Amino acid sequence: MNHSSKPTTESDKIRVRIYRYDPATDQEPRYDSFEVPYRPLMRILDVLDYVHETLQVDVGYRWLCTSKKCGTCGVNVNGSPALACWDEALPEMVIEPLNNMTVVRDLVTSRDDYEKKLAQISPLLIRKEPYRSFPEPITEHDFAPTMHLRDCIQCLACQSVCPVVAQTDSGFAGPAVLVALSELAQDPRDAGARAQIADEVAKVFKCVSCYECERVCPSEIPIVGEAIEPLKRLAYQQGRGIGSARARAFLDVVKQQGHVNGALVALRTKGITFDTIRLAARFIRRRKIDLPDILGMLFRRRSKQASAIRRAYQSSEAKQ
Amino acid sequence: MKRRYAYFAGCSAKGTCRELDLSTASVSNLFDIELIPLENAGCTGAREFRTISEELHLTANGRIIAMAEALGHDLVVVCDTCLLNLVETNHRLRNDAAARELVNRTLAQENLEFKGTIDVKHFLWVLTDDLGEAGLRAKIVRPLNGLRVAPFYGCHIQRPLSTLGKAKGNGKPALDNLCEILGAEVVQYAGADKCCGFHVVTTAETVALQMSASHLDNAAAQSAHCVVTPCPLCHTVLDGYQPDMKRRQPSDLPILHVSQLVGIAVGLTSQDLALSRHVIDCADLMTHVVDRAQATAINR
Repeated sequence: MNHSSKPTTESDKIRVRIYRYDPATDQEPRYDSFEVPYRPLMRILDVLDYVHETLQVDVGYRWLCTSKKCGTCGVNVNGSPALACWDEALPEMVIEPLNNMTVVRDLVTSRDDYEKKLAQISPLLIRKEPYRSFPEPITEHDFAPTMHLRDCIQCLACQSVCPVVAQTDSGFAGPAVLVALSELAQDPRDAGARAQIADEVAKVFKCVSCYECERVCPSEIPIVGEAIEPLKRLAYQQGRGIGSARARAFLDVVKQQGHVNGALVALRTKGITFDTIRLAARFIRRRKIDLPDILGMLFRRRSKQASAIRRAYQSSEAKQ
Repeated sequence: MKRRYAYFAGCSAKGTCRELDLSTASVSNLFDIELIPLENAGCTGAREFRTISEELHLTANGRIIAMAEALGHDLVVVCDTCLLNLVETNHRLRNDAAARELVNRTLAQENLEFKGTIDVKHFLWVLTDDLGEAGLRAKIVRPLNGLRVAPFYGCHIQRPLSTLGKAKGNGKPALDNLCEILGAEVVQYAGADKCCGFHVVTTAETVALQMSASHLDNAAAQSAHCVVTPCPLCHTVLDGYQPDMKRRQPSDLPILHVSQLVGIAVGLTSQDLALSRHVIDCADLMTHVVDRAQATAINR
């Protein structure tokens, strides 16, 4: 977000450009510009309210709780997601709808895609034992891994910046759905087939680990580390998904040779396919891989050097 | 004064991006930087050890840091993903006594101990922060005037902010800053801070290539002559897989490592920088820079 100097006196104006688009009537989106008198502690929502109520413009925007709880007021401000009810107004703002979702009207985006994906992961506790009574005993220890995940307000800021969600044909559920899934998967009361759902339904191994989701999360949830990686770990423990195969191949190669050989990991993950041969041929031709490497890779036995590495990695593996 | 660092090259620089290791050595020599390689240091685990177990991730990375500590120097890496794994582990083990004890129990077998006495740095930061603008400028013989360079940072040198926010180079974004110091024109385009998709390129190739193709298209649309990246994993996708991408503008875009871009400006040869080991040819780019520098020299 743009952190240029803030207006300091009430006579200052906020200059705002707002995205306008009604798919029912408009050929294409346009931007309308407004000047709004600055008030101290003004939020983005106050600016939108002023445009709507005082300037009498029928701009479409959504809010409910006005206190960072309901997650319905997410918009893009100067290209980055913000909560209208929570983030402060800037002297110059371009306000647009969140990316990666269809526009209902102006700043209001559809939550349908998210809700459809959420429904597909069985987003309720599937109990091991029937619910007994309130209060349900749950220890701090059991609660700890999901503590931060419970801060999610489903504002979909993370979905809006995810480069894999942007590829609609990827089938990737997206960070917000994975946060919900991970909360259940790490709940000791849950008996759902979460590893299978994570791999086959939510396509967790399509996460590129870019951390864009964490960058924009208003609740500051460590989404990659505390939601997505535990799901991958669970899938790995059950040997599910191509990502597990890759992790296994990776570790085996390091233990065998003392370091990673990317080509060998790829070969062991996918086997000999047209694609691996084509890529290998190109890399050899352009000297990205040297021929001796290939031969060494195929015929080298366990490296003696790597024995220290094998020992060092052993203790953490043993606890699997 | 010779600057000394412990050096962990990582799998890419020792494997399919050997030109990165070679050019880093050439550039270090020229700037009187001594990179002491760690022997038999294993692997930071990329994204895979974290998937397998947290303890494995911390042990593998703690071990590398402990080896650098034994040498008594800060640890330098040339890969974004190595950087994140090591910076994160360094922070965690410094602040979490239980995790530190767990890791040290394993490391004791090799008489190693994580103490938390050194920092982990990217080679880019060594150039921009430790060597600094004056140190860099002193050696430039072939300023990159007129060369339009698109910086491509890679994710794991910037995010997550909680880990890397503090570790970031001073002031301006380091790579933009470096390009400017070398005399290049920094190309502004959507994509500089985006993801190349490397970590799914073997398992979901189209996802990765679609992402990277759009970054290259955006850079090309701003008339970039080349892209420069501090990460060999980004390099592998952007360069190695470039012929497989469905591009809007199918023109080849050379992808340089940071050390190669610096190397060109300080007068090193194509051989010193192993420029021939790329999928996308860099010969024209080198000729372009050399010709321009000669023309400028003659005009003077």
